Amino acid sequence: MRATIKGKITAVAALSAAALVLSGCGGGAGAASNDSATSGEVNLIAYSGVWQDQYTAAVIEPFKAKYPDIKINYASKRSSAEMLSALQGQKTNPATDVAIMDNSVSTTGNKQGLFEKVDAAGVPNLANVPEKFRDKDGYGPVAMLDAVGLVYDTATFPQAPESWDVLWDPAYAGKINVNAPPSLLGLSLTAITAKMAGEDYTKGIDAAVTRLKEMAPGVQTFAPNPDEYQNVITGQTVLGLGQNARGQFYSDQSNKKMGVTFPKEGTVYQINTINVVKDAPHSAAAKTFVDYALSAEAQTAFAKALFYAPSVSNAELPADVKARVVPTDGSLNIVPLDVEFLSSARDKWTDIWKRQIITK
Amino acid sequence: MTLLQTPIAAEKRTDRDEGLLEKATERRNRRTYLALLLPGLLGLLVSFVFPLAYMIRMSFNKGAPDGVIVETFTLDTYIQPLTDPYYWRVTLDTFQMGVTVGILCVLVSYPVALFLARSTSKYRGLLIAIAIAPLLTSAVVRTYGWMVILGTNGLINSSLEGLGLIDTPLKLTNNMTGVTIGLVEIFMPYAILAMISGFGRLSPQLEEAAGSLGASKFKVFTRVTLPLSLPGLLTAFLLVFVLAISTFITPRLLGGGSVQVLATEIYDQTTGLLNWPFAAALSVILLVLFGLIIAVYQRLTKKIGG
Repeated sequence: MRATIKGKITAVAALSAAALVLSGCGGGAGAASNDSATSGEVNLIAYSGVWQDQYTAAVIEPFKAKYPDIKINYASKRSSAEMLSALQGQKTNPATDVAIMDNSVSTTGNKQGLFEKVDAAGVPNLANVPEKFRDKDGYGPVAMLDAVGLVYDTATFPQAPESWDVLWDPAYAGKINVNAPPSLLGLSLTAITAKMAGEDYTKGIDAAVTRLKEMAPGVQTFAPNPDEYQNVITGQTVLGLGQNARGQFYSDQSNKKMGVTFPKEGTVYQINTINVVKDAPHSAAAKTFVDYALSAEAQTAFAKALFYAPSVSNAELPADVKARVVPTDGSLNIVPLDVEFLSSARDKWTDIWKRQIITK
Repeated sequence: MTLLQTPIAAEKRTDRDEGLLEKATERRNRRTYLALLLPGLLGLLVSFVFPLAYMIRMSFNKGAPDGVIVETFTLDTYIQPLTDPYYWRVTLDTFQMGVTVGILCVLVSYPVALFLARSTSKYRGLLIAIAIAPLLTSAVVRTYGWMVILGTNGLINSSLEGLGLIDTPLKLTNNMTGVTIGLVEIFMPYAILAMISGFGRLSPQLEEAAGSLGASKFKVFTRVTLPLSLPGLLTAFLLVFVLAISTFITPRLLGGGSVQVLATEIYDQTTGLLNWPFAAALSVILLVLFGLIIAVYQRLTKKIGG
């Protein structure tokens, strides 16, 4: 009897071990391809938080209504770099179909062969994307645009500050949040400061570093939490870096307690591209989704929801929305931050901030 | 003689038989234990050993800009942090944070643990449950709680300002002070638990005996209670130290980017700069640091125990 029980225990243990091995290693085996342009599923990787909420409501839900047989699985990440990490990890066995990410990171993905080229045959709406918003090698085009803004507390500043210089004003010392690199906001501020100091940032940023060092003691946090907008809304700080789109959204959410503006010295575009993953498991459905994401309908809906500027020429925005999205017609003073350059400078600038600028 | 021999011979036979039987049972038992251990061992292999091996291998690769990983075998990823004063400072700061949090946590947890260990109240179980109840809430939530309490407009600053004790808010967050306060509170339940289980040799009878022999309360504490609770204190310190030097969330959220420790550096390298080989090398360094500390701890406990 004892032997039988033991035998049973041994069998159960061996079975559970086998099950564990199967469940642990068999993940990729069941990913049978179901590639159809009108059915199946699309595994999307994109930003989290309010971006995910608004994109789901403005683009994904209407898409699902139009293509009820395509299921969208949204995997959210906090940053484009995290998305790239995930895609790099799946390179030999892709599980993602579409990625919406910052263009500085998607350029890296293109170089690493993570994405495939798209054309108007697979994505007809690409025809409405102006040349300047298309990738020169034919990879994923721009899906939406935004720019770095100055976020401010409207009680402290009834009039929006006009210059980035306000970040150096001793009156606001200790009440500023600045996202340090590798955040794109911090990298952008570095380029803007270099421009303000009359420096060509591609050659060196010594003057910018000197200026940023002067600002640093007045910075309350270099990694705002919960985020750069809530810090201003809750009164922790009165000034900070932020993105225009989210800034506009949170300005409404906070009943205009916070505002966002583009100072006169210029700003840096934050551009998101939409990319089809190379050897994507649902490539055809992925292109259907990308095509819809580039439709005037989807682009307008997302601009209304989260104030991102459309990347297609046929999207018509209502005047009140148009006034709040970043202009793409050349009317805004833009500090060009070349993505190719940025990929080589990101490490260096982050290092400089950590070693020289950030104060303890 | 024969009368005596027979039972002995029978006994011997039985002994031999039993020995064989025992050996067979032992073999069977060993097989059963092994089979029972197999799922756990496989789980560990898949979830711990493989990733660790992957990480160690990754640390010898080369990280190129743009997150490109060049498969090679180089020690550059180790030479860089070991020869760069910045990383020495980060490592030292991590170590210092671990020691400070460990000491403070043990100091504030000790009285609670001592009370709970010695308590004979019928509510002892409930009290222990209350002491470790914070573990039911995630460290992230508790860290956010501390952000609310320690912030410029937080509970402490607004109370002090309301009382007229300060004019400008104290900088209690976005620096090491905030991180230390947060970590001490977050790790208190672990310290309390470790101490209660480490107070094994502590007994009220010994204290009573010392008292009856004329020792003052202070002397009883310093000569009996404290030495006997030392193993528990050390275990708690080690546990909190190890947790503190590997913690990421609290330094990230309460440090405001100004607190650079190994864990935040690894996070930045992994997710921000995508330099996985370098991040892996830093992780291995952190792991080696753990190993050293645990070796020192074992020496210490042996000394105290012996």
